[in-house]
Amino acid sequence: MLERITLERRAGAGPVRQTAAYTGSLVMAIALSLGVLVAAGVPIGALYQELVVQVFLAPTGQAQTLTAATPMLLVGLSAALCLRLKFWNIGLEGQLLLGGIFATGVALTDLGGPVRLALMLIASAIGGALWIAAPLLLRLRLGVSEVIVTLMMTNIAYLLLQHLLFGAFGDPTYNFPSSPAFDDAERLPRLGFGSVHLGLVIALAAVAAVAWISYRTPFGFASRFAGHNPEAARTVGFNTTWIIVVSVLAAGALSGLAGGIIVAGTEFRLSQQIGLHATFNGIVIAALARNEPLWIVPVSLLIAGLTVASASLKVFYGVSEGVVLIIQGIILFCLVAGQFLTTYRVSLTPIEAVR
Amino acid sequence: MSFVEAWLASFPGFMAPLLLAALGLILCERAGVLNLGAEGIMAVGAMTGAVASLSGVGPLSALGLGAGAGLLVALPFILAVVVLRAAQIPAGLALVALGLGASAALGRDHTHKPFDGLGAMPGPALLEDLPLIGGMLFAQDALVYASLMAAMGLWWYLQRTQTGLRLRAVGEDTATADAAGVDVQFQQLAALVPGCLLIGLAGAYLSVAGSQIWTEGMVAGRGWIAVALVVFARWSPLRAIVGATLFGAAEALIPRLQTLGLDVPVYILSMTPYVLTIAVLVLFARPGRLRGNEPGALGRPYIRQDR
Repeated sequence: MLERITLERRAGAGPVRQTAAYTGSLVMAIALSLGVLVAAGVPIGALYQELVVQVFLAPTGQAQTLTAATPMLLVGLSAALCLRLKFWNIGLEGQLLLGGIFATGVALTDLGGPVRLALMLIASAIGGALWIAAPLLLRLRLGVSEVIVTLMMTNIAYLLLQHLLFGAFGDPTYNFPSSPAFDDAERLPRLGFGSVHLGLVIALAAVAAVAWISYRTPFGFASRFAGHNPEAARTVGFNTTWIIVVSVLAAGALSGLAGGIIVAGTEFRLSQQIGLHATFNGIVIAALARNEPLWIVPVSLLIAGLTVASASLKVFYGVSEGVVLIIQGIILFCLVAGQFLTTYRVSLTPIEAVR
Repeated sequence: MSFVEAWLASFPGFMAPLLLAALGLILCERAGVLNLGAEGIMAVGAMTGAVASLSGVGPLSALGLGAGAGLLVALPFILAVVVLRAAQIPAGLALVALGLGASAALGRDHTHKPFDGLGAMPGPALLEDLPLIGGMLFAQDALVYASLMAAMGLWWYLQRTQTGLRLRAVGEDTATADAAGVDVQFQQLAALVPGCLLIGLAGAYLSVAGSQIWTEGMVAGRGWIAVALVVFARWSPLRAIVGATLFGAAEALIPRLQTLGLDVPVYILSMTPYVLTIAVLVLFARPGRLRGNEPGALGRPYIRQDR
């Protein structure tokens, strides 16, 4: 008998199906990523050593992973705040760069006296929020797509960074385009475990704060509601514009803070390298964490581990930065495709019934 | 050569890739598929075109290979969007990551190696030497002329043919098109495959005809500018010519101004295309009202149950 395949939308997927779809896409993503790494020249036997032992089990690796995870917690959180409201902020990197620039500006002009470090971090958050304010305003006032504007703002931010590094912020005694190194008072204190610094505590506090607001306050309830169904949220009487303004500005501030923490915590100077893949990292982390603040923590550690591992894979096996980007693309693709299982139901209908 | 003359002669080379990419995107979007992956497809096209040229393939074949590679990297996106009805924005972003990553990883051993690519078409010297506009009109490479013809061809196809009408119907009101007996998935495939080929060709043009070298990051946001250009062109291939000319002329101004030795800092000057893109989006924004010719079903996954 002839049958044809039809799709139906599911009213909702149960926890078992949700977990299965999520795990399935994750397993698929990991399998494909390992395939890419092997194709890039990493011996199969070295994978466990490089991706698990070196970055999660060995103490020096653990410290490196925690350090790398610090800004990722913040950009992941930032991405989740926006994506939850379907505000497509793909300018995380631009906001991060502005944060780095603002923090460096405070450091180089020696503002703030004894509270300079705090002022640097506050300035970085303001820088990030300012950089997202323009796309936010254009979207709310004129209906201009934030996808393109946030990305263009990133390109502009990168050129601004170069302009400053080759000019006002540049260090003439240094061969690479970079600012002068920060003073000791402008560096985040180490916590006594490798290069792990106070930024980690700040980032974890930010995660806790966002989680508390999301789950324990009326504003958090309203914003989760508005994310799922903006129409209904408006009908019920929530001020969705206000929710978007507050969440998106906070997201910009978090990305900016990530930039401030990178320059004050690990780099100790402004350089061209500080923004590496923040946009894709943030979106991948938020997507893997399904925009849930607390899930950002383990997922950021995972992605940070991958980043740290890629640094050593680069040295020992010649794996390039591009391969890391491919893996991020694969993870995102698998998650997006995996949604199929929770969104649709496949059914076979006899062809006579269709006619 | 005067400043204006040199500028006029150089801008079609900046216009052509933007136009080709915009045409590819118009095809996708007219069939209702929002393809944000253009930047990634172009990067793969550019890398492949350069590697092919470096290994001795002729310029036209190199362009073809670049276009094909662009389609190849877009296949997971096409599959996810058409068959699995996946969310189009994140799928497009995944394609950007995949394309940028693949081009960087595979082209790693071929960066900064110049080659002889596509040159200007031989034209009558008399016309080429015309003052002011001679270079602009008659000393261009074949693809500049081809891209203009492609724009007109695409307009004719969309507006004047039966299959073009079916394609537009799918993008405008998928359910009605489906009820009228149009094969939705087939139409989307028929739009996405040539669309991604065109975007890949645009990328290949950047290396094979433009810079004649491959460097990582050389697409430099042009894929995204093309996405914005489609909004500016209000999804019309003919208005895309106007848009691509505007953006191309602005982009061509940057190296010209630098040779003038103007006292404008180079990095500030380089912001022009990005600032212009935002400015154009703002100028053509239509708050509150229906957005011009935007395909009604753009970006929405469709299943028959929605009918």
